[in-house]
Amino acid sequence: MIPSPSPTPPVKQKRTFIEGLKHRWSNDPLFSVLIALIIMVILQTLTLGFDYGSFGEWLQAWTNNWINILRNNAGVGIVALGMTFVIMTGGIDLSVGSTLVITGAFAMYLLDTGASGILGGLGITGVPAIMITIVLVMAFGILLGGLIGVTITKGLVPPFIATLGAMMIFRSVTQHFTQGYNTTVPTEFLQLSSFKIGNLMIMPIIYWAIIAAILYYVSKRTVFGRQIIAVGSNERAAKLSGVNVNKVKLRVYALMGLLVSIAAIIQVSRIGSMDFSNAGRGMEMDAIAAAVVGGTHMLGGRGFILGTVYGMLIIAVMNNLLNLFGVPPFLREAFKGLIVIVAVLLQRKSEQG
Amino acid sequence: MKIEMQHIVKSFGSNHVLKDVSLSIQGGEICALLGENGAGKSTLMNILGGVIQKDSGQILMDGQEVIFESPSESLDAGIAFIHQELNLVNDLPIYENMFLGRELKTKRGNLDLKRMYQKTVEIFEKMNVDLDPRRMVRDLDASYKQIVEICRAMMMNASMIIMDEPTTSLTDTEIERVFQMMETLKEHHVGIIFISHKLNEVMKICDKYFVLRDGILVSEGKVSEVTTKELASYMVGFDVRTESLRREKEPDDMGEEVLRVENLTDAEHFRDIHFTLHAGEILGVTGLLGDGRSELFQAIFGARPIQSGKIYLHGKEMNSKSTYEAIKAGIAYLPRNRKENAILKDMSIFENASITTWPMFAKRGTIDTSKHQQIFKEQRDKLQIKMREWTDSITSLSGGNQQKVVLSKWLATNPRVLILDNPTQGVDVGAKEDIYDIIIQLAEEENIAVIVLSSEAQEVIRVCDRALVMYHGVIQGEVRGNDMNENMIMHLATGGELKIKRREYQS
Repeated sequence: MIPSPSPTPPVKQKRTFIEGLKHRWSNDPLFSVLIALIIMVILQTLTLGFDYGSFGEWLQAWTNNWINILRNNAGVGIVALGMTFVIMTGGIDLSVGSTLVITGAFAMYLLDTGASGILGGLGITGVPAIMITIVLVMAFGILLGGLIGVTITKGLVPPFIATLGAMMIFRSVTQHFTQGYNTTVPTEFLQLSSFKIGNLMIMPIIYWAIIAAILYYVSKRTVFGRQIIAVGSNERAAKLSGVNVNKVKLRVYALMGLLVSIAAIIQVSRIGSMDFSNAGRGMEMDAIAAAVVGGTHMLGGRGFILGTVYGMLIIAVMNNLLNLFGVPPFLREAFKGLIVIVAVLLQRKSEQG
Repeated sequence: MKIEMQHIVKSFGSNHVLKDVSLSIQGGEICALLGENGAGKSTLMNILGGVIQKDSGQILMDGQEVIFESPSESLDAGIAFIHQELNLVNDLPIYENMFLGRELKTKRGNLDLKRMYQKTVEIFEKMNVDLDPRRMVRDLDASYKQIVEICRAMMMNASMIIMDEPTTSLTDTEIERVFQMMETLKEHHVGIIFISHKLNEVMKICDKYFVLRDGILVSEGKVSEVTTKELASYMVGFDVRTESLRREKEPDDMGEEVLRVENLTDAEHFRDIHFTLHAGEILGVTGLLGDGRSELFQAIFGARPIQSGKIYLHGKEMNSKSTYEAIKAGIAYLPRNRKENAILKDMSIFENASITTWPMFAKRGTIDTSKHQQIFKEQRDKLQIKMREWTDSITSLSGGNQQKVVLSKWLATNPRVLILDNPTQGVDVGAKEDIYDIIIQLAEEENIAVIVLSSEAQEVIRVCDRALVMYHGVIQGEVRGNDMNENMIMHLATGGELKIKRREYQS
């Protein structure tokens, strides 16, 4: 066999700083997203102002503002990570907001310190009760996501329809069974979110960061993560390459359910209660928006966990900015919509250029 | 009505598709237009149908020169082109389909359904079609869809109808129905140009024939004066253009049996398939479009369900329900239509080359990149894949190199049976030769049993030890040695043997 001619090494050009930026702009899909985020953060910092007695005070205010932003968005941020995987397979999940309330309600019933508390009734209290609750709620989330996944893969129901149906069912069932019912969550449970590290209440942010890191690894290095992209890129080719397409999809929806249940635990432990008719409404749209702003293609085959984190932050910082500017609440959604469209426009441009 | 095409020349870039072709067709005649794939049939008809423009030459209608710059101009002149993919909307009733794009309207601008319905009834009566115009097109079988298209052409006063392989996807009774329709058209003095590969159909229905080969009209005449054997030899030419790459080995000297298939059936695509395959053997499977060979081998690969029959791998019955199980068992399948079935456009060259083996080498779910790099490096050198960076997108490669990358992902699975479906599709000449060399090397040196599915008889003759010829989902015959020539293959692929049987039955 003739040895193959060694491929000509690409000519390494010396690039000026500007040329380097241009190169990254058109070659790194996340670069433009990162630039947008940096601009937003600079704007936000300027808006916050420097009207403080000392640098220390300014830093304190700046950090507190950031911790607030991150903590408020940790739940939906986690959901957006799962949504990224779902969209990468070419699917969508509209049911996340309703899954949030049904798993949240389940958590509260398990924990309730009153007469109808399920675990309390069995005589389990304290830390064991909290541990069992976490495990059961996550299992419930996986089960619900798995059911949606089976409907989509075995039942051949389009993801949009399957999750639209699940969205209505989950919320309606939750609302029916929680009518006129007040639950009290044990204070130990609240520690899950309110435990302070060095005087900072950042537990939800840590959960978000850990999950993002794990999913980043999954998407880049694991068989499951790469098969997700293969399925979204060309389902038929993936199947003919030995990928069990149905298994991949099923696992993606189950993972989505798990992540939503984690978001539910965070929300319940943060507030101590949940408004079952309003919590999680519009969450699916926020999650989709974050994924799309972060460079995920709605048709599947392309998506970035890191991009979704950036996307979530962009939307969060923008909300914060609008708040600081005093923009009326009803107008804020319009800005969110605008930023989603602009983000996709910019990505299209850099792909063509 | 008489149509003459004179000295038609057409090239696409440096590819001379039509080199001075002249032919003439009268109204009331059914003319067969024959030729192998790539002979220039479709190009010639697309010129007549106004789909593409000729480089030079003339088209005359009743002696007057005409120029068609678009399909609608050609249609206005009375020439209707019925394509293989029918132009009907499944979710509308027949009578609305009849007026698609030129709907009848009432004075107020609404659709005049009543008049459209009546007109359809009239034309159906004229053409002896017994069909309720209110039926949905979705519910019609393929032959009635053809008939609806023909009636639509008649309603627009077509005097010449071009039919591009109309019988490919039809059953025998459906073919009869279309033939009856063609006879009716003939009675109405409409000319028909019938593009087909099926010579027995040509013998049955056509009056005249034209044979194109490599852009030249090599033969024409009356069908009553030729035999199918003669037609087949006109189509392929007498000269064998390239030498066979076949080895000296006789098919019987091959290694142990690797794959045995018994009674395999999936009523829709293939029936009662039997064959065996030995280690180190190269088996060709050929036939015309719609012969069911891709479906058959996809079923063996576990990508389609099987209704009945058994598959034995190394003497043990195989029951793979998924493609991954088939891969683990040692079967590899390189699909046809690379772009639709094999290329993951969002992934890199390296990932496209390793997707099949990710689960095999993974450690706790994490892909073993260094192992895959090592395998891919070997494959890249062996297959001589030309590329710059492994991380470049697969779409940055030429067709031939893309195909080699796809092949490399299958060789990485260390297959015992390698099924190659149209392996040289969309590949340039140089890469084609490379792929032939690779196929022979795999069989010779690694003792892999290779199956080459191909619609090009040349390809099968050049690389295969023996070949199965399929026709309408059954194996029509097996050829080897001196019998493995283009005439014999074409004869079988057009249902040749079947015709002889019928004749015996009739006499």
